[in-house]
Amino acid sequence: MKPFRYSSRGWLGKASAGLIAGFLLALSCGGLLARFGLGGVAPFGVEHQFTMWLVAPLLVTVLSTCFLFRSVRQAWLWLGTANLLTWGLLLAI
Amino acid sequence: MRSDIVKMYKDVHTWTGIVSGLFLFIAFYAGAITMFKEPLQHWASAPSGFGELTPLEDTPELISRVLAEYPDARKGYQIILEPSAKYPARMNWELSNPDADDHDTPELMHANLTAEGHLFVARSGASPVAQLVDDLHRQVGLMLPHEIAMPIMGTVALLYGVALVSGVIVLLPTLVKDLFAFRLGKNLKRLWLDFHNLLGIFSLPFHLVMALTSAIFAFHDPIYAAQEQWVFQGPNSFIQRERRQPAAGAPTGEQLAPGQLVARLHEQQPGFEPRRMIYRDTPRQGPSLAIFGDNPRFGMRSPEGGVVGLDPVTGDILMTDYMPGLQNGMGATITSFFSLHFGSYGGNTVRWSYFLLGLGGAALFYSGNLLWLETRRKKLKQSAPLQQIEQRRSARFLGPLTVGVTLGCISGISVTIAAAKALPVLVSQPGHWHTAIYYAVFLAALGWAFLRGTARGAVGLLRASALATALIPAASLTVALLPGSGWNHSDSALVVDLVAAIGALGLALLAGRTARRISSAPQDSIWYVGAVPVAAPSGPTSLRQA
Repeated sequence: MKPFRYSSRGWLGKASAGLIAGFLLALSCGGLLARFGLGGVAPFGVEHQFTMWLVAPLLVTVLSTCFLFRSVRQAWLWLGTANLLTWGLLLAI
Repeated sequence: MRSDIVKMYKDVHTWTGIVSGLFLFIAFYAGAITMFKEPLQHWASAPSGFGELTPLEDTPELISRVLAEYPDARKGYQIILEPSAKYPARMNWELSNPDADDHDTPELMHANLTAEGHLFVARSGASPVAQLVDDLHRQVGLMLPHEIAMPIMGTVALLYGVALVSGVIVLLPTLVKDLFAFRLGKNLKRLWLDFHNLLGIFSLPFHLVMALTSAIFAFHDPIYAAQEQWVFQGPNSFIQRERRQPAAGAPTGEQLAPGQLVARLHEQQPGFEPRRMIYRDTPRQGPSLAIFGDNPRFGMRSPEGGVVGLDPVTGDILMTDYMPGLQNGMGATITSFFSLHFGSYGGNTVRWSYFLLGLGGAALFYSGNLLWLETRRKKLKQSAPLQQIEQRRSARFLGPLTVGVTLGCISGISVTIAAAKALPVLVSQPGHWHTAIYYAVFLAALGWAFLRGTARGAVGLLRASALATALIPAASLTVALLPGSGWNHSDSALVVDLVAAIGALGLALLAGRTARRISSAPQDSIWYVGAVPVAAPSGPTSLRQA
């Protein structure tokens, strides 16, 4: 079998996964920080603002690294699973 | 690192860069100028009719007279401690405008007491041109409604973030070898690449800050809304704590006079230099007072400084969330995001550094586009030296676009700034004229670039930009030679003339260099202008070959 080589094929699918799943992931990470790290935040207080700011670095990180998934399917699969975990932790517990 | 990964990220870098580069050029060029928004507004604004501020001890009298006569002011007003073109009088308040939304700049009325004790009320008459440059910066050159421009700006910021990361990944394998290399040789692409890498890697922290903060400036409303909708809901609604209230509730009793409040603030925070006091009185929260000011020892949340909340009755400090030096760790962290974007720390040294970093950023994006063109141009083969080279359509489009947008932005901003000293003589409401002038020059430059092609267009437009920028000191010079034809301030406003003169000189030098460059460019260069010597008149037929 030929070894896998990366290329820009599937860039739109990977970038879409990075954008949509990455945004939701960043949002839930902010929520997890607010709930378990900061013990609640006052609406629009500085802690709340911090959880909002968190979206930019997390989203840019995911958007930049999503091309390292080997396929569009894998991108959605991994990022989707990560979302299930974080949102599950946030909403179910 | 694996070569296929580097190759893939090269594609990512190329395309994110090419889509966002020209927007970013405008944002950075206008942003660099915005570092000196206040001196620029001062330069562009006629001396106000207000004269000296009403003395601080007479201000209670001023306030009660305004509140009696102007109901709009009862909801809130400002007391100015340091006058500027934007705030020329001791007191101002917002005209009520039911159609305005959060993002519209409110229209202000200003008031002083004259020496005879009369109330003098007027608009500021400050030039709108500095705000136009700021708006071009914030909306990446698109003067569209806020709710359309912001998603575009935010998308550009995200692309820019990805372009930065991918650019670093591409450079990593050869970083050590390439870092200090600046190969001035025959290979022009190599030279531009070294320049691009050098600029990019050494200003990377600055650029990362700008990309991440701009994305948040664009998208904070939707993110807050999404948090509200999905995160702080159902089982998590408890995450939202009650906002802590001042223990005693709304302050009641006789308020201290502005002069006494400033003295009380100085007792508590001697390092803080107050610039303006914002009084509010809402039925829900009662009277409140916030004071904007500078403390150069700390980073500040806005270009206009930090904010402290005072109890207007006792003068005690109540709110320190945005007060330089009194913030908790989290508050100072948030403030650092803002101050790192605005350069609102470290005073003038940082302001000049940001000005240069901003211009450097603009050069980074320009060189990025040039690299795109250099990579894609068809090269003359050694084997067939007589073949005719017709560059690809994409290069024939992106070349003029790059030259037209960048130089159009520079000329447009220069002409509309220079017009600030002429417009008040010609029209009664300069407001929208500045925007119209900017776009007229910008679009003319763009059209010219496409008409003349990359190379000839660049020479003509560089000359035009130099001339346009020279109009700024020329406007001041005209006023100096023809007394009564306008105004010149003899203080910080001179910096505007000086910087514009240096800029014009630099652009003129570039125009000369480029003219020489295109006359000697080989046939397969993007700067090739055809077989005819430059001196010969050029008809429309020869233009196609550029």
